Amino acid sequence: MSDATVAAAPADSDDERLAYRGVFQRLLVRPEIGAIIGAAAIWAFFWAVAEEFGKAGGILPVLAVASTLGIMAVAVSLLMIGGEFDLSSGAATGTLGIVTILLVKDVGELGGAGLSLWIAIPLSFIVALGLGFFNGTMVERTGLPSFIVTLATFFILRGFKLGFSKLIIDNITVGRIDEGHGYDFWVKIFGSTWVRNDHQFEARDAVYTIGLLGGITLIVLAVYELNYLRKERFNPAGLGIFVAGLAGLVAGIAVMHAGDSTGSNWIAGAIIAVSGLAAATGLATWRYELQPTEAISMPSGAAAEVGGGVALVALGFLSAWQLDQGMDGGIALGQDSVLDLVGFLRWPLVVFGGLLASYAAFVKSGAKIGGDLNEQLHAIVRLLTVGGATAFGVYSFMFMATEEGLRAILFGALVVAGFAVLAIAAHTAGRTSRTAKSIVQLVIAASTVALAFFIRNQSGTPKFRTEVFTILLVVAMVIVGWALTNARFTSRRVQDADADKLGSRMAIGGLLAGFVGLGIKLLFTTDAEIAAGIPRAQFRVEFLWFVGVTALATFVLGRTKFGSWIFAVGGNKDAARQIGVPAARTKTQLFMIVSVAAWLVGLLLAFRLNTLQSGTGNGLEFEYIIAAVVGGTFLTGGYGSAFGASIGAFIMAMSKQGIPAARWNSDWRFAFLGVILLAAVIANNFIRTKAEASR
Amino acid sequence: MSSLIELDNIGKFYGNIIALQGVTTEVHAGEVTCVLGDNGAGKSTFIKILAGVHQHDEGVMKLEGEDVSFGSPREALDRGIAAVYQDLAMVPLMSVWRNFFLGAEPTKGTWPLRWVDVAKAKSVAKAELAQMGIDIRDTEQPVGTLSGGERQSVAIARAVHFGAKVLILDEPTSALGVKQSGVVLKYTLAARDRGLGVIFITHNPHHAYPVGDRFMILNRGKSMGNFAKADLPRDELVRMMAGGAELDQLTHELESSERGGGGG
Repeated sequence: MSDATVAAAPADSDDERLAYRGVFQRLLVRPEIGAIIGAAAIWAFFWAVAEEFGKAGGILPVLAVASTLGIMAVAVSLLMIGGEFDLSSGAATGTLGIVTILLVKDVGELGGAGLSLWIAIPLSFIVALGLGFFNGTMVERTGLPSFIVTLATFFILRGFKLGFSKLIIDNITVGRIDEGHGYDFWVKIFGSTWVRNDHQFEARDAVYTIGLLGGITLIVLAVYELNYLRKERFNPAGLGIFVAGLAGLVAGIAVMHAGDSTGSNWIAGAIIAVSGLAAATGLATWRYELQPTEAISMPSGAAAEVGGGVALVALGFLSAWQLDQGMDGGIALGQDSVLDLVGFLRWPLVVFGGLLASYAAFVKSGAKIGGDLNEQLHAIVRLLTVGGATAFGVYSFMFMATEEGLRAILFGALVVAGFAVLAIAAHTAGRTSRTAKSIVQLVIAASTVALAFFIRNQSGTPKFRTEVFTILLVVAMVIVGWALTNARFTSRRVQDADADKLGSRMAIGGLLAGFVGLGIKLLFTTDAEIAAGIPRAQFRVEFLWFVGVTALATFVLGRTKFGSWIFAVGGNKDAARQIGVPAARTKTQLFMIVSVAAWLVGLLLAFRLNTLQSGTGNGLEFEYIIAAVVGGTFLTGGYGSAFGASIGAFIMAMSKQGIPAARWNSDWRFAFLGVILLAAVIANNFIRTKAEASR
Repeated sequence: MSSLIELDNIGKFYGNIIALQGVTTEVHAGEVTCVLGDNGAGKSTFIKILAGVHQHDEGVMKLEGEDVSFGSPREALDRGIAAVYQDLAMVPLMSVWRNFFLGAEPTKGTWPLRWVDVAKAKSVAKAELAQMGIDIRDTEQPVGTLSGGERQSVAIARAVHFGAKVLILDEPTSALGVKQSGVVLKYTLAARDRGLGVIFITHNPHHAYPVGDRFMILNRGKSMGNFAKADLPRDELVRMMAGGAELDQLTHELESSERGGGGG
């Protein structure tokens, strides 16, 4: 390309040869998108099987676990982007917490230094800096892999923790930080809590609804603005319809809130649906360019895919319903036969899964029966490995799961597969005709509505049932609106800086509005809830630290010199050094960032628990690394995102909390974490390859 | 024309190994000085002395008439000597604009609220590349997705932008195909036309001849002389390169047979 053209392109305008990337394609190249989708899926999954996950009382513990894990994961992701590991980071959290406590403990026969917290906290901060400096300098000076150096530090810290605890206070439990001078001040910074039950806000649900719906509306508007081609001159008639539609939406929601009977809810639902569609078409008519009409032609491939997708979804419904009949002691199977059914299904599924995977591996290997012997042997080994691994995976999953979990897995897998096939069908249809694509999208919307009603009728968790019902209906409405406008209006194929700016601002505004609504809902209760006796739930300041650390790290990575240097030393250290980046200093600073994060987490733990065990934090370093990798950070360095790592921490926390909440056998939780890690890495790899291809 | 760099009898020893000895040459602004030599001729040592990776052990190096010896690559860079190495030029996973400004990012705001002016960095990178005739589609694209020739070209443009007076190109075409080599040679000339003194190091006389104004040929750590283009027809350059290699071979054989004879 560059050898053919020498003409200078204008500096700040966009290159006309740059293939335009649509709004969805642009989203997909973000490193953290896989983690976000995964987090949403895991949350929905656990919510379906454990009702706590839909309530503040169930979310707040997840936030608490995610906070301390996430602060470390974010710091570790920076270090990993810089191309190094820190295996001492887990032990360091406990060490620095214990150091602080030992510094404040009263001087006595077996006491610590008896310092004020005002001195102890800065002192332990200095210890943290020293620890990071030690790790960094050792790695840089010796040139040894950081894996080895920090593994040594890990054992040293572990020994120190145990040794000094026993030496100084003759106990492996080190406490209590609240005896320290200045505790009243520092507990506000590291240990404040917000007890939800003490804060009532009667307008909470209204704020929540407005925030959430306003947010969704803004995001939908943003997608339209980012996707469609603007008209030269706007059509005021469309604006009228759009405003009328919005008014109808507000009215419908008001009716739904005011009324309590099923009848009024149906009326309100109808009003909302009609006015939502009116708003969508009005918006498009007002702002966007029409396209010439075209004949509808449904390619046969797409038609077959639609059929397959619908069949899969229906199969999902059927199997969940059938299992449910068994559980409720219904007609199909007796109560006692549920366990039999699980036992019965276990082996066919293991065999079926194994055979299917073996077949896929065989087909993929391209070996032929009667072909080259070496090739055949290779294919057989592959077949056995893949088939065996899948069979084992299915087998362990069946053991982990309760009947309810099994039902959710089966149902979820079939429905997700069905919708995936439908999405592929829409893509296939879109290659021939936009109207055909819209028709497939209408089928998707209809399946969504069916799914909504099915879940409302079948799910055993009441809150999940009603909320997911609403969410799915809203989603279906949005899809129908999208299908209608997509068939008639022109998608943008060129850059439009104005539209992009407006669109992304609206999207950010929408996200903020949604989060504010959700936050209000999590932070406050109402009198009615108190009267109903909801369990106590509290929110810890750790979460604010987590958000702050993530925001800071994201800013540093994306917008500062130091951020560029982190990517550079991880991506190609020699090139970075050659161009004048202080590579050794950057890496040492990264180790120090990790140990300062460990100091912060150590203090948060100390103020949360008041006493720390000498084993605190040991072994958690791998969880930090997993969270970072799940969030899209490369193990090899040079690529990743701090925000992704924080989402990875959420995934880890949800898995840790969700398995007991779903009443699964929690002995298997590490197997679950392993599967999540593997799935995340494979998904990330896949997405990255796709993203690179679309550049 | 006054010379940017003057080297007088430069030598470098690694222990008892003589890597470079008695090398004398000049680099002029607005000219391409080609340094040719086979493997082991001392090309790498020569660059490393100029770029501040190593220091010379004998002789005099003058930059704009002043005696110098660089302690580090950074020092050489600060004095306007930029080296573009074949494989060390870029960080593949980073975007073009980040690579372009790596180590010298434009910032705004005051510390601690100082951040990289991304919009400015992108537009400057694009403009600067365009001015060199390098046409990058999207400065957000990772350097790893560029071709080998484009990568070298971006590195050259970067050196030019950051005010290099002397640009050292280390085997920029050796790993490239014919077409890509042409791209790099074109940007080499573009850098020369902007008044830089370019040192082009290669073992390929066919790449050196079209772009070079002056030629220095290294052989086994010694200079075989400096030639202006006018005094050196292409065939003569090719012959000297090839002849040099033959001579090596011959000397080597003679030496070994002599030693063998002495023993027997």
